[in-house]
Amino acid sequence: MCWALGFSLGYLLCFDICQRRICGSVHQRVRLVSMASASGSDFSSEMEVDAFRRLFPLHFHERHLLESIRPDGRPLRKARDTTVALGAVTSANGSALAKIGCTTMLAAIKLEVMTPAVESPDEGCIAIDFHMPPICSPIVRPGRPAEVAPVVAKQLSDTILSSGMVGLKELSLVSGKAAWMAYLDIYCLDADGSLFDAALLSAVAALSHLQIPIVSLNEEGRVVLCSEDSEGEKFAKVPVNKEKRKLTLNTIPFSLTCVLHKNYILADPTAEEESIMDTLLTVVLDSSSQLVSLYKPGGPALAHTSVIQDCVALTRQRRKEVQKVLDEAISDMEVD
Amino acid sequence: MAGKGGATPATYAPSPSTKKDKKKPSTFADADWVRPDGRSFHQCRPAFLKTAAVNSASGSAYAEFGSTKVIVSVFGPRESKKAMMYSDVGRLNCNVSYTTFATPIRGQGADSKEVSSVLHKALEGAIILESFPKTTVDVFALVLESGGSDLPVIISCASLALADAGIMLYDLITSVSVSCLGKNLVIDPLPEEESNQDGSFMIACMPSRDEITQLTLTGEWSTPKINEATQLCLDACKKLGKIMRSCLKEAVSGGSQEEEL
Repeated sequence: MCWALGFSLGYLLCFDICQRRICGSVHQRVRLVSMASASGSDFSSEMEVDAFRRLFPLHFHERHLLESIRPDGRPLRKARDTTVALGAVTSANGSALAKIGCTTMLAAIKLEVMTPAVESPDEGCIAIDFHMPPICSPIVRPGRPAEVAPVVAKQLSDTILSSGMVGLKELSLVSGKAAWMAYLDIYCLDADGSLFDAALLSAVAALSHLQIPIVSLNEEGRVVLCSEDSEGEKFAKVPVNKEKRKLTLNTIPFSLTCVLHKNYILADPTAEEESIMDTLLTVVLDSSSQLVSLYKPGGPALAHTSVIQDCVALTRQRRKEVQKVLDEAISDMEVD
Repeated sequence: MAGKGGATPATYAPSPSTKKDKKKPSTFADADWVRPDGRSFHQCRPAFLKTAAVNSASGSAYAEFGSTKVIVSVFGPRESKKAMMYSDVGRLNCNVSYTTFATPIRGQGADSKEVSSVLHKALEGAIILESFPKTTVDVFALVLESGGSDLPVIISCASLALADAGIMLYDLITSVSVSCLGKNLVIDPLPEEESNQDGSFMIACMPSRDEITQLTLTGEWSTPKINEATQLCLDACKKLGKIMRSCLKEAVSGGSQEEEL
């Protein structure tokens, strides 16, 4: 992107939009030019788009919002392309890679055995953690973990456990003696906004990919793996969990984060949009479109009832899209 | 962050029930045996390389050699830490970390401080530090899955990421390791081979300049074996260099590269 100096910014903006083949009517273009020249700051008439974007980010975005378009060419309420791939990590019992636009998350589950707590002898446990390694963003440096990481970890943990997605009883092996502890670790590989949405998607995908190994108890009361070939041997133990190889997921939570700015709602914001317009609203719905959780962590814009209703409606639509992506990933896996 | 309140209970990974130890040491000491993944002794695993894996970094690369999976991001050149003294030449900062699920037993990632410093030493010789005075280039690596020969994969992947970031280099750095098991030398070893090895040998070199930036040798070696291992590594490094070059070229025209070493 490099334009000669001297064009009016309005023209440049318009050119930018036209190049993305979204703005159709000539009428709209004319309106944009006139609007820009009327409200533009003194610099705007002689500045390149990239420079303007960096120096006056809010102004830059608001110009786009007026035209119901976003700098990456999306309409305001459209989420970025989403993909899910299951089984990315072979050293884990279940894993998934989720991408929303450039935001990339890798979730993996490792099962270990624990002694269940006295008050819940036939329940297992899920430990969820979210990591932002220094590779994911220029802001994160080694030894200085990102501030948002523990926040997202807590949200994920609350959402997954309170949605009733996984019955903890399913993770029981021997009542009072042994149960599965599922360590669900989510790594952000590329951070470009909507971290929670991508992390939740990768987490639920990893849970649906989870394959529970067949185990049995040995003489010392420890849980050991039953390998396929040991079945024929005379000292083969009776497996404790032969029929339970997969978790039954009662419901699947899906989320959508929106940025609120003035009267606009922007679905699935990028990192740039999140940093400029910092009122976020995250809605989590389950498979039957019931509300699981709603986060609105501060920010200058107030969320009125109608705005929240709009966000919930957007999430309802988005849930269908994401469900489809996940179902396709699961059926691809089964074909393989 | 356990699912239930209170302290996380102690857990353990269930181990395989049949503890026969599969007479491993004797197998590897034999003159002839089959490698766990069926490769011949002097055959490397297929390499998959891709640049621009992380959008928010200045440059990045993803490398997959068998089940060893590594992502490297490069940031900068950017402002050095405030506490740093003025310097006419640029600084290189390396950090390697492992995911908790990288190893068969959870959270057993190797000592990443040590790996970080080895990576730093392997790379610094090839980077033209004079080209970015007063600033720092950060090279961060994350091992997604540790499937043997991690360090050479990290080094090669890091040099690809540096090239992707447009950092001036004298040449790409490629690295390959060899394990000595009894009478045999096996290239690009797997974890089970690494844990039973009598000696290890690793080279990081600049293939088109025929210069070695790092050479590590541990264990018991005879001189002819060292010569043989050097030759094996240098040949493999040359081939890997070609693959990395074509990967960089391909990145310009779009697409990725998978090739047999």
